[in-house]
Amino acid sequence: MNWVRIRKDSIVVNGDVLSTENTGQAMLKEVYKKHIGGYPKFFKMDALCKLGLIASELLLQLESPRVTDTEQRAVILFNRASSLSDDRNYQATIQDAGNFFPSPAVFVYTLPNIVTGEISIRNKYYGETLFVVLDHFNAQEMFNVVREAFLDPMTSDVITGWVDCENKDDFEACMFLASAVDQDFTPEFINEIYNK
Amino acid sequence: MDNLQDILKQQIIDALNLEEIETADIDNDAPLFGEGLGLDSIDALELIVLLERNYGIKIKDPAVGKEIFKSVNVLADYVSKNRTK
Amino acid sequence: MSERIVITGAGIVSAIGNNKRQCLENLRNGFSGIGEVRYLPTVHHEFPVGEVKLSNAQILDLLGIDHNQVYSRTTLMGIMAVKEALAQAGIDNNHNHMTLISGTTVGGMDVSEQLFSQGMSQEDCTNCIATHTCGASTCAIANHFGGIFNSTITPSTACSSALNAIMLGSDLIKAGMSQMVVAGGSECLTLFHLNGFKSLMILDTQRCKPFDEHRQGLNLGEGAAFVVLESEEHAMNRKAHIIAHIAGYGNACDAFHQTASSPDGEGAFLAMSKALNEAHMKPQDIEYINAHGTGTPNNDLSESAAIRRLFDNNVPPVSSTKSFTGHTTSASGSIETVISLLALQEQFLPINLGWSTPIQDGGIIPVTEPRKASLNNVMCNSFGFGGNDSSLILSKHTK
Repeated sequence: MNWVRIRKDSIVVNGDVLSTENTGQAMLKEVYKKHIGGYPKFFKMDALCKLGLIASELLLQLESPRVTDTEQRAVILFNRASSLSDDRNYQATIQDAGNFFPSPAVFVYTLPNIVTGEISIRNKYYGETLFVVLDHFNAQEMFNVVREAFLDPMTSDVITGWVDCENKDDFEACMFLASAVDQDFTPEFINEIYNK
Repeated sequence: MDNLQDILKQQIIDALNLEEIETADIDNDAPLFGEGLGLDSIDALELIVLLERNYGIKIKDPAVGKEIFKSVNVLADYVSKNRTK
Repeated sequence: MSERIVITGAGIVSAIGNNKRQCLENLRNGFSGIGEVRYLPTVHHEFPVGEVKLSNAQILDLLGIDHNQVYSRTTLMGIMAVKEALAQAGIDNNHNHMTLISGTTVGGMDVSEQLFSQGMSQEDCTNCIATHTCGASTCAIANHFGGIFNSTITPSTACSSALNAIMLGSDLIKAGMSQMVVAGGSECLTLFHLNGFKSLMILDTQRCKPFDEHRQGLNLGEGAAFVVLESEEHAMNRKAHIIAHIAGYGNACDAFHQTASSPDGEGAFLAMSKALNEAHMKPQDIEYINAHGTGTPNNDLSESAAIRRLFDNNVPPVSSTKSFTGHTTSASGSIETVISLLALQEQFLPINLGWSTPIQDGGIIPVTEPRKASLNNVMCNSFGFGGNDSSLILSKHTK
């Protein structure tokens, strides 16, 4: 099973370190330019969506052939900070009564589940999407929700994991592509990768 | 000194995070929406905010936005006639 | 065949009433709860809203909570609705190990806004935000009921959150991970999202007109609704009265745009199709659709297209009750589930206020005259930003 682990200063894909020169947002931009490209919408996204998109792209680049346009793949993500990073940016546009210009482009990202939508839009996934906010990283809880998703016979695999962005330069992600028949997708495995 | 067209182009690039586009890439007569820059409905709303913030122009009806975002020239013409700041 | 999930209790708080009885009465009489803003401290009085007609202080009194405690309005409305649902289901303090699933996106943001405006330092604000997250609002609801809830979940999928909460609750029971779940959602109005929706230019300055050619947008609302879910066997063993059962549900992604729906309503079509499949039903088995019907030009056209694709020329009666409650965003899925439940129980079709002219090019003609109906299966749609589209089918309970 493929996985990606991103911290604010490092990226590991299936155990291999992806070398980067920058940290934080600059690192995400660097990875986009070096390894992804051709999707200018990336630059319009908030920090949480950028993180989710980079993680999912690195994960899906391992898939051959890459699956698109499907109803059978779900996107189920978790975090703690919800959309707090973008919420702060939006609040800044309505904080000052003398300079009060609520930004629609910032507002649309003040929902954590937009990241599941962005990944689905990018890959034309029409399956289940779900975003769950947890008190803290909890592999068992995440595993439980994914297991329930597989009760739907339509769902054959799922992009899942932890995508948390407290601030634009303070984030982490841990993402998996798990199929319904993967025996090695367990709470222990999620923990093991998260702690790597 | 920059003309209004160039100023608007730079403001559009900044407001819409068109990271990989430069002012020279935007044709003054080409449509802003549709193919071209790949802008969507949220970008149109953001441009409406830009007009209010930078030029004091209040647009209540998104349909009016559609008309004036036809091209940079059309937009510049509208801004020069309607600006209050 | 997997075990049937049944509903044994329901509670609702919305602009048209503080409980099921009041909401039912106003639905039947065609009295909308949408009007000039009264409780939210906004300057934008030009936008009508569907506020719950109680101040926070009045809710605290009703619930017998000490005024010195800080509760978000999301939590307070949530407690009211959960309390009504538990009472109907006959659940007292002797129960335990239940799960509370509350969909919300606003959470305790109203409290954060009040503190922000009182000029707190940046650090204090950050600490305050940390205690007023979506998850914290769910925990606060659970804590009010002592030890009966041993776990909480807070799905946050924008406006479809509460319907997804009910679906998730049903899945938990089917998977044998919980025996009883209270699921729904709660969401209060805030300056944050009122201004956000204003910036998207999708708010109507008059009462909304879902499915009308001249619709101008939505009215925001607030409220909470919850249902008590359990397996049929569990309900029968404890001799609980079964109100209805959940026949099927589906969630699909529109994969089109962050906020806009696709012109052909792909996500909505897929969600409704999945729900029918799971229920082993054909389109003609559905006798009423409580539409998402926000009143925005985009949603109503897209949802009409999706319904026409699925139901062809045999579209059952449809209405959007957002014309009564306003768009209660993350709570809308459960508020409209409870309204659908009332329709099923009382055998009537809730009407769609504000409609007069059909949308050109195949728009849905909604129900506008109150009438009795023989209902066995009703569908409830709930779509969220992010293209997160859900649909649920409720059926009259038969042994």
